[in-house]
Amino acid sequence: MARFKRRRYSRPSAPVSSARRPFRLPGNPLLLLACLPVLIYLLLPTLIIVPMALTKGQLIQFPPIWISVHSFADYFDDRQWIDSTIISLKVAALAVCIACVAGSAAAIGLHGKQFPGKAVVIGIILTPMVIPFVVLGLGDYLFFVHMPFIGRWVEIGLAHSVLVTPYVFITVQAALSGLNPLLVRSARSLGAGNASVLYHVYWPAIRPGIVAGAIFAFAVSFDEVVIALFLQSPNATTLPVRMFTSIEYELTPKIAAAASLLLCFATLALLAQAFLTHRKLSQRRLPKAVQSLP
Amino acid sequence: MAKLGFLCDRSGDDAGPAAKRTAPDASRPPLAGRRVLRSRLWLLLPIGIVYGALAVVPLVLIVRFSLVGGLTQYREVLSSPLLAHIVENTVVISITTTVIAVLLGYLLAAALWRSGPRMRVLLLILVLLPFWTGVLVKNFAWAALLQDNGAINELLRIIGPSHEALPLLHNRLAVIIGMVHYVLPYAVFPIYTVMLSIDDRLERAAKSLGASAFSVAWLVIMPLTLPGVYAAGLLVFIISTGFFITPVILGGPSDMMVANLVDFYAHQLVDFNRAAALAVLIVMVISVLVFAYQRTPKEGQYGAV
Repeated sequence: MARFKRRRYSRPSAPVSSARRPFRLPGNPLLLLACLPVLIYLLLPTLIIVPMALTKGQLIQFPPIWISVHSFADYFDDRQWIDSTIISLKVAALAVCIACVAGSAAAIGLHGKQFPGKAVVIGIILTPMVIPFVVLGLGDYLFFVHMPFIGRWVEIGLAHSVLVTPYVFITVQAALSGLNPLLVRSARSLGAGNASVLYHVYWPAIRPGIVAGAIFAFAVSFDEVVIALFLQSPNATTLPVRMFTSIEYELTPKIAAAASLLLCFATLALLAQAFLTHRKLSQRRLPKAVQSLP
Repeated sequence: MAKLGFLCDRSGDDAGPAAKRTAPDASRPPLAGRRVLRSRLWLLLPIGIVYGALAVVPLVLIVRFSLVGGLTQYREVLSSPLLAHIVENTVVISITTTVIAVLLGYLLAAALWRSGPRMRVLLLILVLLPFWTGVLVKNFAWAALLQDNGAINELLRIIGPSHEALPLLHNRLAVIIGMVHYVLPYAVFPIYTVMLSIDDRLERAAKSLGASAFSVAWLVIMPLTLPGVYAAGLLVFIISTGFFITPVILGGPSDMMVANLVDFYAHQLVDFNRAAALAVLIVMVISVLVFAYQRTPKEGQYGAV
């Protein structure tokens, strides 16, 4: 009972989901059958990436002449491609760091607050998700041209940080939705200062949200092409930009090898998401007695 | 994709939180500093700086570049026959994509909704795996599948008698295949959330009054899911209009979309003023669409319990 009450408090919008439909166990076979082609369509491209990388030939072909890892060897031997991968990793790391600080701080700042402009503020925070990449890319290009030079990969990383901050904000906000605002008040009434409230109350609650957000942010930054294309220079070409320019030229197994790498990150992001939703975000971190606050 | 943002005046970004920060302090000036600290709104400062420097300033710069020489840039962009052609491309491709994606998304959402917990998890994973795969990887895979000696043509060669490879790549069909594939998960989730909020009792009531399975689906369930369909359609349309990579990799020369035109102005013609003017126009259209998206009701009107 206590558990039920807590969940209703923390997630008022989703009381409907699981508990109400225990009688539909097997699923509708007709619907599932109709979905089968759609699912194949959805999954087919993802499934053929790795087999394409494992071909023996120099060009991508079907049926592939299996099995050789020469494309991966090509990829790891090519200085340019490895450099690009390292640049991409650096860019993503910078973007993720900035996004984690800015996104989670904003989520904490807005937690438990009710004021008239809140929806607008959240709307503004989420805006980068809907601005077309080309517009941001053009703007960032015009911006950095006027700035003192700070290194091309830093510029791409900074540009990406705006793009990925909303992802961290959303996951941290989701993690905080399980945290009762009364907890903060009670911590304060017991004499906790700002720093201890942040460290002892908020930090444990947002940790899983930050991890999830960082993984998503990393995945987004690691395969973003358009902004990186606008800001690229010969010694700051990210992996996706290099892939993009070589795809226009020719489809080679080396690109498939790089794509497998990107796919690997995507799968990690998915697993992390599954894992974190399974743990119901922050809630497990709090002691039982605290969880059942009204 | 919980909620999309307003594309309202971006210069409010800095002013908004700052005004909010000082608002509660007005009544008690001596404690102002401490109250700002306690109210935690100072935590919006980092995001304000990041967005201010890296989103607001670049957007302002775009507007400034677009206004060089008054409105001549806009006039030139709007009057060029190239733009008319490309806007037509964009609208046709985006609408086709939206219609197909919403139809397929509805099917997937219905299957998700109607399946038991285990099947639902499996289906969710199958929908989410492509969701997290990047555009580039997906489009590369489609290019490999659709090319003249790609998997699909090879399969057709094995099955059928036709020895000529079908031209599947570098045309509009390929662009639409690639785009629908990318946006499909975005279409599934708004519809699925609305379906979850439908009251079970409505269906049972309809059945007890003698409705057939078809009439339940068509007369009871379908109207209740329309808000989700509208939301999904708008969302997919918004995403579709911004596509840049897919038309380049999967499309031919005549499948250029507006995002490619910005790139064309900036990189081929090195005319940043015109590129900026076009970018401003795109942002204006997208703002209207996002505003409309905000207006769509998120839950079934009668479905929410």
